[in-house]
Amino acid sequence: MVVGAGIGGMQASIDLANSGFKVYLVERDTAIGGRMAQLDKTFPTNDCSMCIISPKLIEVGKHPNIEILTNTELLGVEGDPGNFEALVKMHPRFVDLDKCTGCGECAKVCPVEVPNEYNMGIDGTRAIRKRYPQAIPAGYAIEKKGTSPCRDACPSHVRAQGYVALIAEGRFDEALKVIRKDLPFPAVCGRVCPHPCETACNRGDIDSPVAIQQLKRFVTDHEMKAGKAALPEVAADSGKKVAIIGGGPSGLSAAWFLRLKGHKAVVYESSSKAGGMLRYGIPDYRLPQDVLDKEIQTFTDLGVEINCNSKVGTDIQVDQLKKDFDAIYVACGAQKDRALNVEGQDAEGVFSGIKFLWEISEGRKQNIGEKVAVIGGGNTAIDAVRTAVREGAKEVTLIYRRTVNEMPADEMEIHDAEAEGVKYVFLAAPTKVLVEDGKVKGLEVIKMELGEADKSGRRRPVPIEGSEYTIELDSVIAAIGQVSDASFLDGTVLAPIVKRGWIECDSLSCETSIDGVFAGGDAFKPGIAIEAIAQGKETAVSIDRYLNGLDIKEGREWNPHLAPKPKTALVKKAERLKVPELDVSERIKNYQEVALEITAEQAIAEAKRCLNCGTCSECELCAEVCQANAIDYSMVEVDRQLEVGSVILAPGFDQFEAEELGEYGYGRWDNVVTSLDFERMLSATGPTKGHMLRPSDSKEPKKIGWIQCIGSRDKRKDRNYCSAVCCMFATKEAVIATDHAGGEIETTIFMMDLRATGKGFDEYCNRAKDKYGVRYVRSMISRVDQLPENKDVEVAYVNEEGKLISESFDMLVLSTGLKPAKSVAELSKRVGIELDSFGFAKTDPFRPMATSRPGVFVCGVLQGPKDIPETVAQASGAAAFATESIASARGTKISTPDITEERDISEEDMRIGVWVCNCGINIGSVVNVPEVAEYASDKANVVHSEGVLFACSQDNQDLMKKTIKEKGINRMVVASCTPRTHEPLFQDTLQDCGINKYLFSMANIREHCSWVHQQEPEKATEKAKFMVDMAIRNSRELQALHTAPQSLVHSAMVLGGGLAGMTAALQLANQGFTTCIVEKTEHLGGNLRKLRATHDGRDLRAYLKELIEKVEAHDKIDILCSTKLLKTDGFLGNFESTLEQTNGIKKRIKIEHGVTIVATGAKETTPTTFCYGESDDIVTQLTLDGIIADDETRIVTAKEVVMIQCVGSRNEERPYCSKVCCSQALKNALAIKELNPDTNVTILYRDMRSYGMKESLYEKARSMGVMFMRYDLDNLPQVEVGEEGVIVKHDLPRLGTVKIKTDLLALAAAIETNENQDISEILKIPKTNDGFFLEVHTKLGPVDFATDGVYMCGLAHGPKPVEETISQAAAAAARALTVLAQDMLMVGGQVSVVDTDKCAACLCCVRACPYNVPIISEEEGAAYINPAECRGCGVCASECPAKAIQLQHFTNNQIGSMLDILREEA
Amino acid sequence: MKLSYYPGCSAHGTGRELDESTRELCNILDVELVDIEDWNCCGASSAHTVDHDLGLALAARNLAIAEKTADKVLTPCSACFARLASARHHILSEGQIKGVEEATGSAEVSHILSLFSQPELLEKMAEKIGEGLKGLKLVCYYGCLTSRPPEVTEALHPENPVEMDNILSALGADVMDWPYKTQCCGGSLTMTKDTVVEKLSGGILDMASRHGAEAVVTGCPMCFMNLERQWKGNTEGVGKMPIPVFYFTELMLLALKPEMAKGYFKRHLSDPSSILVSRDLT
Repeated sequence: MVVGAGIGGMQASIDLANSGFKVYLVERDTAIGGRMAQLDKTFPTNDCSMCIISPKLIEVGKHPNIEILTNTELLGVEGDPGNFEALVKMHPRFVDLDKCTGCGECAKVCPVEVPNEYNMGIDGTRAIRKRYPQAIPAGYAIEKKGTSPCRDACPSHVRAQGYVALIAEGRFDEALKVIRKDLPFPAVCGRVCPHPCETACNRGDIDSPVAIQQLKRFVTDHEMKAGKAALPEVAADSGKKVAIIGGGPSGLSAAWFLRLKGHKAVVYESSSKAGGMLRYGIPDYRLPQDVLDKEIQTFTDLGVEINCNSKVGTDIQVDQLKKDFDAIYVACGAQKDRALNVEGQDAEGVFSGIKFLWEISEGRKQNIGEKVAVIGGGNTAIDAVRTAVREGAKEVTLIYRRTVNEMPADEMEIHDAEAEGVKYVFLAAPTKVLVEDGKVKGLEVIKMELGEADKSGRRRPVPIEGSEYTIELDSVIAAIGQVSDASFLDGTVLAPIVKRGWIECDSLSCETSIDGVFAGGDAFKPGIAIEAIAQGKETAVSIDRYLNGLDIKEGREWNPHLAPKPKTALVKKAERLKVPELDVSERIKNYQEVALEITAEQAIAEAKRCLNCGTCSECELCAEVCQANAIDYSMVEVDRQLEVGSVILAPGFDQFEAEELGEYGYGRWDNVVTSLDFERMLSATGPTKGHMLRPSDSKEPKKIGWIQCIGSRDKRKDRNYCSAVCCMFATKEAVIATDHAGGEIETTIFMMDLRATGKGFDEYCNRAKDKYGVRYVRSMISRVDQLPENKDVEVAYVNEEGKLISESFDMLVLSTGLKPAKSVAELSKRVGIELDSFGFAKTDPFRPMATSRPGVFVCGVLQGPKDIPETVAQASGAAAFATESIASARGTKISTPDITEERDISEEDMRIGVWVCNCGINIGSVVNVPEVAEYASDKANVVHSEGVLFACSQDNQDLMKKTIKEKGINRMVVASCTPRTHEPLFQDTLQDCGINKYLFSMANIREHCSWVHQQEPEKATEKAKFMVDMAIRNSRELQALHTAPQSLVHSAMVLGGGLAGMTAALQLANQGFTTCIVEKTEHLGGNLRKLRATHDGRDLRAYLKELIEKVEAHDKIDILCSTKLLKTDGFLGNFESTLEQTNGIKKRIKIEHGVTIVATGAKETTPTTFCYGESDDIVTQLTLDGIIADDETRIVTAKEVVMIQCVGSRNEERPYCSKVCCSQALKNALAIKELNPDTNVTILYRDMRSYGMKESLYEKARSMGVMFMRYDLDNLPQVEVGEEGVIVKHDLPRLGTVKIKTDLLALAAAIETNENQDISEILKIPKTNDGFFLEVHTKLGPVDFATDGVYMCGLAHGPKPVEETISQAAAAAARALTVLAQDMLMVGGQVSVVDTDKCAACLCCVRACPYNVPIISEEEGAAYINPAECRGCGVCASECPAKAIQLQHFTNNQIGSMLDILREEA
Repeated sequence: MKLSYYPGCSAHGTGRELDESTRELCNILDVELVDIEDWNCCGASSAHTVDHDLGLALAARNLAIAEKTADKVLTPCSACFARLASARHHILSEGQIKGVEEATGSAEVSHILSLFSQPELLEKMAEKIGEGLKGLKLVCYYGCLTSRPPEVTEALHPENPVEMDNILSALGADVMDWPYKTQCCGGSLTMTKDTVVEKLSGGILDMASRHGAEAVVTGCPMCFMNLERQWKGNTEGVGKMPIPVFYFTELMLLALKPEMAKGYFKRHLSDPSSILVSRDLT
């Protein structure tokens, strides 16, 4: 199992799978590719990162033995090496990858915009998305954190986040469509709903909730202005009928949703108009009658039958309804008021709240007088007081027994009433209505205080004895609650469902005790409108299930996974929408709607305040547009147990959070970005499409600065290690930025040391300096400020001379350091591996990929900061480590695809089948697919041609196979998307039908046609026809091709018996493959023989001894010392080498081997400067290493030790860095200080390159008093050897000339390659200018050569320390294992073949082939191309002047036949 | 809330407005201040630079007395805060201070900025403000001692403190972010190397005016004096823009109890009244 699918995880998976192991590749993200997929270019070759990683993505994606588990996290690993049980959690993707075609229509409709993490949050992306265009798996995924609190809080679960998101995009009609999925009363609820959604809104934690209700009203206003409402589609008529008693919100809601299901819904309403309490209980100034009328019209328009003035029990008989209808919903409401129950309540002038409002709404004036009191604290009470004001009352008082805090009424309404002159009397309750002449005269009230909480959670009001007082009044309105009156059902068949006037039913399903009769709404339990509506909606579900004979209760509980609270720290406060209102003086005179309309701009601005808590808003628009039916909201988390032998962890890195160092202004100053931000800005697939634009004003920056070591080499944030990649990363960005700007740019890198330690890195930096004008400034940053005038960034820094300088930049890039990915802390606990204090995995320098837990390995940044080549090498190395102990299981778990026996078609007539794909609407909306299919059907040999929606979908694959078999098709043409991803799929389809897969031909009419000619559909259709025609012509020329198995020698030859060679050999031998070590000297050990200890103090001499013992004792390893390679013949899998042994009598030995590993090493040079050789006190660092180990006295007695770095490195002769010398010097300096703290140690250096974890040596050396002095090539230290001994002099910019009489001068002599020209020629492997061997690809092929079957490791590749050599040696072994593990090598197929009759042996192909494959065969006198070696690139075929070479599957006939179409057209 | 109060020497001289407005604000916001009895010099300016132990001991004596009264010590002066907080930090991290062993560090040391920016007090202020500061365009200048070093001050954002910004925004001012919040004003070099202070404080005023600020607000008597002096004394150099300087407590009082604040402004080296008049704030 490999955890993490970045470049490291991918490489490890490929090597494991290719060497015969089944691999589970576990990735937390929705796609593989990791950080490398985010990079623009890579150093030192400036390759496009995506271009070089893409083939790897595809290789992993289609490898039969790699199972990719995306959206998956590792929960734990039990067991022992070889027998682990890994538990993984696979999070739902909500998109079926088998069905998703990657067309992207879903993302186009998704309303939810979230920061695009792939683009470092610079731009936005959608809740449904593909991580990046080239992502593998290529399907989309929904990011769903859970149900948003607004939807959860809404009784009807209206998708508030969804419609708010649509409003934010100005898609008002779609917003309304989403609302109507759960709520048929948007205009009503947009006005009267007490909006529990807003109470739950997380935005309230920041400033105030999103004005969800007002937004809902806005879209209905918008629709009403436009005209007719857009209603949802009604299902086909079911033939079932449902009667609904009561035309209020609950009854109508049930009718609506029943109608949608195709049932006939008939509503019986006793009043003259439908609407129930919405009409009669809510005053017009809140809900105008015409709005309600229009809303109710939508029900009629939908086909709901509403019968007004139809009182059940009077006008229609219940028993008749029961007979005539298939089901009944009783939603008769609760229109009676609760009585006041005090003396005098029957006097004239005592009104009940609901009745009062009802009468007024029916236009019947009520005699309330001038002084009015309303009793109650709910919305009815507020409606009553505000209505009383409008009815002309002069003094209106609301009397409530609790306080304002306990009032159930809406807060805004309480304020509005107050503004209209209503007075509140809290903590008072009526005890007596004072009556005179049968009329109200006043009210006696008693003061209350709050006691214990009651079961509603509110504190119970308790009367204060003797506190009664009176108020003078003309009328009293009691609004203290409503009561149901279902007495009309008495004596009917429905009588059993009524108890004391209330209806009894199930609160969830609304079933009653009578079969087919359902009930709900206020008659069951009075509540707010949305609750009644919700119950209507639920009833409709119940009735629909009832009518269809389904289980009514199954899965009905609302039990969603709730979205966690979003992070709000960085959200800027934004004021909530202020709804304009009718002026108080105006509104108290009439019933005009108080809340006025808002503008579209206001609505959009308000909607944008939404935090998108759930990310996916559950609006379901994506499912509506997905023609492949790939969206599946029902997906759930799945736990899976995996049996694995080894585990490799490669979770990658996160960048240091630059905002943690406030002094650099990230997040505060507009034009300060991080290096990864900038990388995305440079990338063509990035947020600015590769245009370099600074954030504040989108202008092209002309002066850019980089500050290095942000969160690296910094003790303050516990990041006192070097991130190892940033110096090169910044240099590359500066170079690429210069290219982007056409050179019109100034680039400056502020740094401490330039750490360009890798292969070719120093040369790259020199080129950056000399050719691109990149300025490196050694400095300490003092301040980073933003200038107010232009938002330029001013950097104040202290330079090497100690001067404080201020300089302005258009843009500043912070080179943020690498740290282990966030997931590592948790992951390490789950897997049980130890981490160091920084959070990197603890490993042993001698087993750099092995963790503290046996069988668990690491690679990449988890092991320590490193760049891509080192990560790739380590990944391959980890693959070798991971298979070492489970080598016996090789080949046991892999699957070989069942191959249907192939039919020989050579004698058959040519029968071509053509499929033209619509790709949903990707192709179909531009190209006229039926027309193209029709066109193709007329072509010769075409026996079948059709257009299909998705050619790649599973069901279509099956149909295609059926057609191929039925019609005897023996050649297949598909016109669809790109062969890059889809050719193998269709080839498999053909193969499954017993037809050779090379008889498949493809036309890319998406990328090459519909996508680029969207504006010209007719021309695009014509072009598609041409392309299909070409594919058909190609198809006619196709030949069946076959690969043939070839045996191979399962053994290896390793050149070089040093650390690298021995490590690689041991690895191969341990995995069961015979290996021969060929060492030119008399001993094994190489340079390791001269080394004393690693930089962290591990004993190298002991390690070497142990290693040699193991190698010598191993029965699978042959050792040939004093032996050199004379000649190697053959090719991958079948090499034969001739060796010459020189100890004693010279003899020649021939060995056969399948692979070759080159580990020929390098050596320390002999210095020619700094008076080396003139004194015994001047030594090299390697010699000093020996002195420290063997001659302690010499160290202890020395007063002064001086070291000079870069002796022979990084100069004109050797422009490269020897990489190991800085840490070696530090290690030796520390050793000296430990032996004698009084010895002064001075290190003269150019850049202190203690990269990665070696930074701790530098830090320790400084703290122990080692002195450091910098020098440059133009200011070299001077060494004199005189009578007084060795004198070192050096000029320092701030101190002047320093003179040290030293007892010991150690020179860090350069590393230089061993003589290797002969090996280069024998093995046909190239070298760099510096003489080291050159890998096939500096980034992704660090141990491979273009010549197959030859690998390298160790110093032969370039200077490197012990642990990197071990990693690389294991990597070379892993690459070799991918060959040795094969039983047979498959050769042939798409390779070049030579027509010996035509060949003139001119050598053109021999020279042109990049892989050195063609040879001139002595027997034939013509070129011979070994099919086992040929890569099928076709270079030879294009170069051959006699056209003697044909690349199979791309023959001249094929190409020519396709091009003929052009000639015919002309 | 009951706090030990350490006024410091500035409160009796150049920083009287700071002290008086602080006391008045505490009064309005129901914060009880108990002056440290027989308080002595905090050790700022010279003591700690010439004798480390003496510097700590001076501050520690004040702490020892304060600890008896309350679990929190409040001071309006940034320099006093730095000294008292350093002494406490020393006690807590390295142990007792020689000669003042009775100081235990039990009382937390607060600068008035952290007190007044507490959410509860901000809420209380919001209830009490009248018209507020009417969008007066301000930049907040914190200087160095209230936020740094973070291990002593326990500042959350030592490079970008926001307490003053939050207080004045809550009171209705238009507070702008700017880069010189913690730039050095020159400190006590005003006595010995006036030109340094001229350049540094002048630069601060210049940056403030480039941001279009109508006034610079600070919480430190030393900064206040340095900034004011530059404006007054230098009409040609970098800081030539006539920008008035306020203590943030003066502006708080102006928003909460305007009649109290007015008396202070006449005492400024540069009378800021004109800007307040133009904004109808007096």
